[in-house]
Amino acid sequence: MAKTMEFVSKDEAGSVATGRISIIMFSGTADKFIPLGVLAQGAAAMGMDVNVFVTGFALQGFTKQPHDLPFPVEFTSMAPALAQGLKAAHVQPWDAMLRQAKELGAKVYACSMMADVMGLKKADFNDLVDDVVGAATFLQAAEGGQTLFI
Amino acid sequence: MGQATTPHTLVDSRGSSCPGPITDLALAYRRAKVGDVIELWATDPGVKPDVQAWAAKTRNEIVSIEDPPGKIVAVVRILRR
Repeated sequence: MAKTMEFVSKDEAGSVATGRISIIMFSGTADKFIPLGVLAQGAAAMGMDVNVFVTGFALQGFTKQPHDLPFPVEFTSMAPALAQGLKAAHVQPWDAMLRQAKELGAKVYACSMMADVMGLKKADFNDLVDDVVGAATFLQAAEGGQTLFI
Repeated sequence: MGQATTPHTLVDSRGSSCPGPITDLALAYRRAKVGDVIELWATDPGVKPDVQAWAAKTRNEIVSIEDPPGKIVAVVRILRR
């Protein structure tokens, strides 16, 4: 209730007219990248500020050296049917959706600590990544909006 | 300003799935001016509520939404940029 009222008052004041969403992309499995793409692109289309903070194994989806993102073991048998269904429905690949979101203003940040742990330098990331930053930068960018953890 | 003189942009998103149509609408919106009318064609079954949500969020006006099977037609008037 308090949250709703806060949102409405800010909205009416026009200071955050269309809001902000920040997505912490942590999972490194292929299935989880679909909602990342859909929600980032959808939110950007809604005129929202979109921040994506990539950490953990998800960093492997953002390297110049491409990685074959695995499916969670429990869904491996369903992966071919899913791929076929996505193709039949003309669903864009997750990175194309994220690229579209970025064209509409979304920002993508890679976690400096996990990049370091995984031996990844700034130059190892592809052009989807705007910058390599720490938690404080992301938390500040996310302030006042909604945050999703994927 | 009469209907006949209103700039009218047609956006054909048929065959594109969510969030494609709403993105196509947003891209047309970026190029539009206040007072313009955008007509969106789509087949994704979520388009009607999504266009309603988009218009509420961006505070633009829905002129009409028709959703016969196979071709949803949403007409939006741009009230603010």
